[in-house]
Amino acid sequence: MTFSEEVLMAYADDELDASTRAAVDAAMATDPEIARRIARHKALRGRVHSAFNKVLDEPVPARVLEVVRSHQSAPPKGNVMPLRPRQVRRWSWPQLTAIAASLVVGVIAGRLTLMRAGSPGPFMTRGDRLLAAGALAAALSNQLAGEQSPANPVRIGVTFRAKSGEYCRTFALREDGGLAGLACRAGDGWQLGVLARAESSSGGAQTYRQATSTLPAAVVAAVGERMAGEPLDQHAEAAARGRHWRP
Amino acid sequence: MGSSGEDLSDQIIELLPRLRRFARSLARNAQDADDLVQITAERALARADQFRPDHSVAGWLFGILRNAWIDEGRSRRRRESLLEPDMLAERIGDAAAGSGAELLCLQEALARLPDDQRLAVALVLVEGLSYKEAASIMSVPVGTLTSRLARGREALQSMLSETPGVPP
Repeated sequence: MTFSEEVLMAYADDELDASTRAAVDAAMATDPEIARRIARHKALRGRVHSAFNKVLDEPVPARVLEVVRSHQSAPPKGNVMPLRPRQVRRWSWPQLTAIAASLVVGVIAGRLTLMRAGSPGPFMTRGDRLLAAGALAAALSNQLAGEQSPANPVRIGVTFRAKSGEYCRTFALREDGGLAGLACRAGDGWQLGVLARAESSSGGAQTYRQATSTLPAAVVAAVGERMAGEPLDQHAEAAARGRHWRP
Repeated sequence: MGSSGEDLSDQIIELLPRLRRFARSLARNAQDADDLVQITAERALARADQFRPDHSVAGWLFGILRNAWIDEGRSRRRRESLLEPDMLAERIGDAAAGSGAELLCLQEALARLPDDQRLAVALVLVEGLSYKEAASIMSVPVGTLTSRLARGREALQSMLSETPGVPP
């Protein structure tokens, strides 16, 4: 006996009436393929459910609780709560450090959109750190802000010395939907400090050209927090490259 | 309203974690999801007299949230599909807050489903509602819900099997 995918799905969801369910049970006993298809539906159900269950453990934000609580204590009539303006998220440096530590998580999640299958991509992980790779690493090591063309896959923005001494550079990727970020020299590599979408999501040359002036707020905040003194001018930038970005 | 209004507030507070979970399967990030929950609570309290006691409060609230999500409009979701500025940083922040890579991965996949399939998956797989309850919230016959759910699940299966898998 054959069953439609909808029937097997309903079996997995415990939505079948008793007689159809019995028929599926009987078929399953002789056909492992039916059991396999049902197991697949159950596995997806379990996977989705348990991932979203984590939300139940999060604290409910005060602004949401406040809506209901203020209603409880308020006079019963004519009480309309204004919707609060959406909070703009501002990152402090400790938060950004936490973000950097978990950057790899975002990259994995973003893989669906960001990375074409099979291409090496601009990032790699080493331990719990996210490092620049491929064309991004090459651009960070070699490209000078004053000597780049729109044909370059990476646009370098500002270069500066961090308070802790190392050189850091902002960048924007032309591919991968206009990601922009900050990378700082760590040994022979470049460690990603922050990574965000460039301001315009329309992509293309426009975004690319304006990449330095429209760095995402998270990147700008990270630069502000890290920078000691002023950004490097072109001579200092070339000199730093000549020393292989050693402090 | 009197004491029944008080009861409703208590019930809404009790259901807030579930409303947040449901909203997270529709909105792309935690902020937008909580905006939806907030709007839902406001509308429910403002329309407490429309609640029919023979229905479940949860189903009623899910319906309000679903409508709020639809009201938010397609233009907004079109924008979201391209990812808003700072969205990635925000979502990385969500991940840092402990939601986990698996959740982000599933949210990303759900966001690619057509609205009606996404709602069906959200109500049945995320919220664990019965087909009948989910169909009633979506105002469609059970058969329609079933076929949307089947199509949504199939699309989800193929998207998730393409991803290389997320380390625990």
